[in-house]
Amino acid sequence: MIFETLLSQMPYLVHGLTVAIGLLVCLLSLGLALGLVLAILEVYGHWTLRLVCVLFERVFRGIPAIVLLLLFYYGVTDYIEMGSFTAAVLALGLRSAAYQSQIFRGAFLSVPNGQMMAARAMGMNKLQAIRDIIIPQALRMSIGPWTNEFSSELKATSLAYVIGVVELTRQAKYIISNTQGNILVVFGVVALMYFVVNRAGNWALYRLENRLSLPGFEHRGDA
Amino acid sequence: MKNIFRKLAPAAAMLAMATMASANAQAETLTAGVEAAFPPWAYVEDGKYKGIAIDAMRAIAKDQGLEVKFKDLPWPSLIPALVKGRIDLLVTGLNVTPERAKALDFTIPWWENDDEILVPKDSDKNLITAMCCGATIGAQGGATQFKWLEDNLASNDKVGVTLRGYEDYVTAIADMLAGRLDAVVTSTDTAEDFIAKGRPIKIVGTIQQNQPQALAVQKGDPKKLLGKINAGIMNIYKSGQWAEIVHSYAPQSTIRDIPTSMPAYVDTYQGDIPGYTK
Repeated sequence: MIFETLLSQMPYLVHGLTVAIGLLVCLLSLGLALGLVLAILEVYGHWTLRLVCVLFERVFRGIPAIVLLLLFYYGVTDYIEMGSFTAAVLALGLRSAAYQSQIFRGAFLSVPNGQMMAARAMGMNKLQAIRDIIIPQALRMSIGPWTNEFSSELKATSLAYVIGVVELTRQAKYIISNTQGNILVVFGVVALMYFVVNRAGNWALYRLENRLSLPGFEHRGDA
Repeated sequence: MKNIFRKLAPAAAMLAMATMASANAQAETLTAGVEAAFPPWAYVEDGKYKGIAIDAMRAIAKDQGLEVKFKDLPWPSLIPALVKGRIDLLVTGLNVTPERAKALDFTIPWWENDDEILVPKDSDKNLITAMCCGATIGAQGGATQFKWLEDNLASNDKVGVTLRGYEDYVTAIADMLAGRLDAVVTSTDTAEDFIAKGRPIKIVGTIQQNQPQALAVQKGDPKKLLGKINAGIMNIYKSGQWAEIVHSYAPQSTIRDIPTSMPAYVDTYQGDIPGYTK
């Protein structure tokens, strides 16, 4: 009986999953853009900028995701009008920026120092050297650790229901409360849905890593 | 020709302003916060909001010419969201309590609930053994049932019970059926809904609470909604629409006289109640 219910409610679970994926794409994009800027400033910036970035990163890495969501929905919205989804993108996206900045920082630092010196010796300015020499190498090396960020942020989207984003976990809760039970079966199916998206995403990222790898410059074995 | 334009210009401007003003008045859509995992009051099925509170709110809105849209938030977020003005109304099976009356303004109460003591169907516990002498009882944390059990049973050493709080009643009932609880205490509607949906549980006793339930608006009623909603509640009650809605979701329920008991600790029940005359 619950399986019939699950089958008939599957479109709404799938809709919940697309909301979760939409949230994931938005927050990872925000995190990627801001995380990259933070990493560059942390590694190459003036010490004042470095201080600001480190402060931002410490704050957003030091607060639980669910508390950030509540702070953004109930606090920041007092000053800036925004809906649940936007608040979730900002809260989780800024947090992701802090984590991603550490991924990129590690990657920048692992590009040998001689690369920068050689680029400067060839007459490039610092910005050109970062853009054309360091970033292409560092981003390739970031993909591996970035898969981890992808996985953990996909799972973090399941918290957004606390501020009213109706994503997959909330849709599952609807089925459970309508039937007043079946917790294990419903969350079992939802777990499988998250798992499949997670594996598919990771598979695509590893493929991207392989495709972009430069012969002779690999920093990890063939995955 | 020019003269005609000159004469018409102020009229046209006034007309434009009038249409803008009326557009503004119509554009004001109220956001009603619901906990859409709380049948039979509010839930989502086939992607649509359903339940007694949902249908009644739609009927009240139609009666009073209001525009209402629903927003689903989990139970612990609802009252903070109303206090912060993220929602304009709280529309759920909301119990009237002294603590809540300090943070919110209640409409006239449209429902009254008692609490039911639930045990597994095959249990040989009765209302005494399920609620005393080493028994473990479950309830939703933050719910009125939890507070009652805490104040009246758990804090009394002579009774000797352990109380466990749950995020919702589905998990509390599941835990009881798994053998980790002796009894669960829920409101009458919730208990009847669980039984109607085939959970293997039974009621072994009723705690008469006459617990009123109402809708709520922000403290001080900044949007002046109380009058309209109270009037709407009375209109759908008198027209028989209320009974129809309740019975379509809970056929076995008895309709209470509206307003049900109005506790003295609620400010908005004192003096002239907006939208309601005795």
